[in-house]
Amino acid sequence: MAGSVKNNISTKNTIMEACILVGIAVFFAFIINALSPNGIALIGKWDKESGVVHADAKNSVVKHELEIGDVKLAKKIYDADKSIFVDARSEDDYNDGHIKGAVFLPVHRFDQLIDGFKNKYSSEATIITYCSGRTCEDSHQLAQLLFSHGYFNVSVFIDGYPDWKEEGYPIE
Amino acid sequence: MNKLKTYLLDNSWLELTIRWVLGLIFIYASLQKIIDPAAFAKIIFGYDLFPGGIINLAAVILPYVELISGIALIAGIYTRSAALVINGLLFCFILILTINLIREVSFDCGCFSTEITGSALSPESLLIRDIIAFIFGMQVLLFRNPRKGCLMQ
Repeated sequence: MAGSVKNNISTKNTIMEACILVGIAVFFAFIINALSPNGIALIGKWDKESGVVHADAKNSVVKHELEIGDVKLAKKIYDADKSIFVDARSEDDYNDGHIKGAVFLPVHRFDQLIDGFKNKYSSEATIITYCSGRTCEDSHQLAQLLFSHGYFNVSVFIDGYPDWKEEGYPIE
Repeated sequence: MNKLKTYLLDNSWLELTIRWVLGLIFIYASLQKIIDPAAFAKIIFGYDLFPGGIINLAAVILPYVELISGIALIAGIYTRSAALVINGLLFCFILILTINLIREVSFDCGCFSTEITGSALSPESLLIRDIIAFIFGMQVLLFRNPRKGCLMQ
């Protein structure tokens, strides 16, 4: 009987102390998240219908106002032949297939390739970046990098290569 | 067999070793997630199991629960409770991995890194690893003798 009471108290203590540990963790989590430049909003933007999904971080590169959210509209822009489609994905992905005529400028090799890109395309060029769809932020990151290099007419085709390919539009 | 079971359950050196190993693993696992919560949130989104409303909260809170529990386990502060929290987390990870294995949903583990590059381990290996860690965690949780190297008994 005494042993059972002691065990109950011990279990209660263990659970109470576990709550204290979790409470301390929650306290620090909210404080540091609020102060950190990498902090995120308490509710992210995870609805694919609204555009590229992201955690809504303070340093987020996603700007929904730049987005082209309709693959048919992207095709119309492509057919008008006045825009440069720029692929933000990795070299392997690009080599596996890309929008026909798209320029290779992956985010992780941006510094290496931007000078060549600038020599070829003026800052007035109309640029459409894309990557692998609405869970991919690379196209947005590339757009921001291009803005920082003086390009001002940049949009982001958010459905990217997978939907373009699925529609049967030109690829190579 | 019973002797071996008792020996393993009552071995304070084994308990100390497990505490340090589990503690260090969880501290290490928390660091990259703390540095880049947005990337970790995206990994949670990739599990395709949670409503949008809780993804960010999980991404913010979970790494600190790992960190604080890991530190508590190593320092020997509220040791049994820290083991309870860590085993609770491991139980959740095992459940999530099992559900996604059954659903055949491909996902990035996000266990130690927030880079979405495909996990080095297969989901089956991750599941086995978590089950082993869970069993070791039970030793710390069920240990009833005086613990070694604890700031608080």
